[in-house]
Amino acid sequence: MAGANDSSKQAYNQAPARAERGTLGDTAIRIQGVTKSYAGHVAVRDLTLTVPRGSIFGLLGPNGAGKTTTLRMVMDILGPDAGTIEILGRRADRAALDRVGYMPEERGLYPRMVLEEQLVFLAEIKGTPRAEARRRLPAWLERMGLAAWSRRKVIELSKGMQQKAQLVATLLHEPEVLILDEPMSGLDPLGADLVRGVLLEQRGQGKTVVLSSHQMETVERLCDSIGLINRGEKLLEGAIGEVKSRYAKNTVVLSYDGDGSFLAGLPGVLSVSHFGRHVEVRMAEGADAQALLQAAAARLHLSRFEVMEPSLHDIFVAAVAS
Amino acid sequence: MDRLWPVVRREYLERVRSRAFLIGTVAAPLLLAGILLLPAMMMKGQHGGRPLRVAVLDETGSLCDPVAEGLSRQRLDGMPRFAVEKAEGGNAADEAARLKRDVLSGRLDGYLHLPPGALELSAAEYFGRNVSNVADLRLMDQAVEEVMVAHRLAEQGLDPARVKRLTRHLDLKPIRIGASGGEREDRGASAVLSIMLLMMLYTTVIVWGQVVMTSVIEEKTSRVVEVMVSSISSGCLFAGKLLGVGAAGLTQFLLWAGTLAVIGLSAAGASGSLGGVRLPEASPLVLAALVVYFLLGYFFYAALFAGIGSAVNTPQEAQTLVFPVFAPLVVGTLCFPLVLQSPDGTLSTVLSLLPPLTPLLMFLRITVLTPPWWQIGLSVLLTGLAIAAVVWLAARVHRVGILMYGKRPTFPEILHWVRHA
Repeated sequence: MAGANDSSKQAYNQAPARAERGTLGDTAIRIQGVTKSYAGHVAVRDLTLTVPRGSIFGLLGPNGAGKTTTLRMVMDILGPDAGTIEILGRRADRAALDRVGYMPEERGLYPRMVLEEQLVFLAEIKGTPRAEARRRLPAWLERMGLAAWSRRKVIELSKGMQQKAQLVATLLHEPEVLILDEPMSGLDPLGADLVRGVLLEQRGQGKTVVLSSHQMETVERLCDSIGLINRGEKLLEGAIGEVKSRYAKNTVVLSYDGDGSFLAGLPGVLSVSHFGRHVEVRMAEGADAQALLQAAAARLHLSRFEVMEPSLHDIFVAAVAS
Repeated sequence: MDRLWPVVRREYLERVRSRAFLIGTVAAPLLLAGILLLPAMMMKGQHGGRPLRVAVLDETGSLCDPVAEGLSRQRLDGMPRFAVEKAEGGNAADEAARLKRDVLSGRLDGYLHLPPGALELSAAEYFGRNVSNVADLRLMDQAVEEVMVAHRLAEQGLDPARVKRLTRHLDLKPIRIGASGGEREDRGASAVLSIMLLMMLYTTVIVWGQVVMTSVIEEKTSRVVEVMVSSISSGCLFAGKLLGVGAAGLTQFLLWAGTLAVIGLSAAGASGSLGGVRLPEASPLVLAALVVYFLLGYFFYAALFAGIGSAVNTPQEAQTLVFPVFAPLVVGTLCFPLVLQSPDGTLSTVLSLLPPLTPLLMFLRITVLTPPWWQIGLSVLLTGLAIAAVVWLAARVHRVGILMYGKRPTFPEILHWVRHA
């Protein structure tokens, strides 16, 4: 599981969780051969995905790839036309789903309901006794900075506060599996950090997190493994490190003084992207980065030359494009 | 089932705590009482008003004195109703113009014009700034007619007083025999009560049905419905909403029925009148029927409204779809004269057994007379079955519709949902 994302995780000190996950090593969600079509088009086609227990799993894909449809099928909001879905080792039924917390892409709370009553209610319909939900609530409200708003109606809360309230609604019944559709969208950086912290903490407690996103940076920093889908079909799946190792190190970053326009014409160079302080050169598979270094060094004053591991962004673009 | 209860409780508390509920619960009985009592009270209040100042402008030459005297004799609650003055002789047109000025200046309320052929044509005219005072004008009409008739009788050599004695009006007292055998004079009050209660049923079924519909739409537009159906089945959500909102409606109804019962009791204590105003009787059977048929009507129509709410995105979109739901309610309400006229007739009986009409028409029949018990039982049974069918149908539309956004579905599309949900 070693990968480029390790450093960011160490900040949260998640070592015990990893050990635990290693010993459990079983499956939280198993999606097998699932197909779903709406009138006229296939949203998900013969999709098979496995989410390891105790990990953070990123479901990636461009808009309209079928992420939301897939998550809705896991939550039994939509029934698949074919295929099976297992949660925590059993066919997804109400009892299994009670152990799953779900945050839909379109956030939703009752606008005119008092915040704390609403959150207790939402935990209650997940099977948490009322008194228990009431007992747990203050700590969450405190942590999310919503304590002062507990008696307010949801409609009086700002958009960001509603987002955090939604996360509390997803967590208050203490689910073993969290399914979050685009959890970071619409959050400011502080809010996003808060959510990231909560998700890593949840994993630390042995919970499984599935999140969908098209923000590659989020996924890269947070997820242990990913599944990439496009047009309803799986393109690739696996632990991030493993997925990356499948893609060759074919990106080179350079910083230099002088006219670098000749770089694009060098043998083995597919494209050159200019950024503010550096350029990124994508090389053809099997091309020799050393040859590029020599050619560049001969004509430019180089201050940086680095062969990069492919970013998820690159992998995403490459996989979707191919 | 353990998930149904929180949903029911949430729906119930959200409704009962709302301002609309408070206003509806308090305002409606006041409005009802107002409509029942106010006209009578206003009539009473008017009786104490000052007499009408009228002048008599006579062109027949013989009626002026008896008419003036007849008008002066008219009394309401022991008070003379008219302060009469006679127009001075002279040119009738000049005199009329002068009286008109007096009316406009406010010195007179109006004047009575007896044209030259008044006696032969049995015709007279009253000129006044206000001619909507129907009760006063009827008194005037009677007084003038009496004078004219007396005049004609005298001309024929008959004694007007004797003729009047011989041709006295019949006073037919309608006395209603209640279900328990009690007798009670009733001059249309119970028909008024029946219509009031019918309108109340009609209004509340629509109001609570619409509450269910807008609440389904709100769940859709606020997107909370997706959170809900990830936790509980859509059927549980649907049932919880119907039951919770229904319980709120029932609460309101029980409060109203209680108020009516208290008014009824206190009225009975004051020998059936409140400040001299006769109150119609609301028997326990009628009150019980009110609650039962409200519930039947509510569940039948609220389920339909909920189905519509789940198929659309906004209340505006719902407007075209609700029409077929409103139609039977409107038809039922319009049938009331027919049912009041012949509550036991074949047509009334058949109409009152049609489930969409039962809540209104069977209830109306119960208010005017007690239909056979088997008919009441049958109506409840049939409506219960119809409710089961409608709820089944609406729940299927709900299941598909709540997650559908975008274009409003057509009717065939909705039928497709029902078949494939």
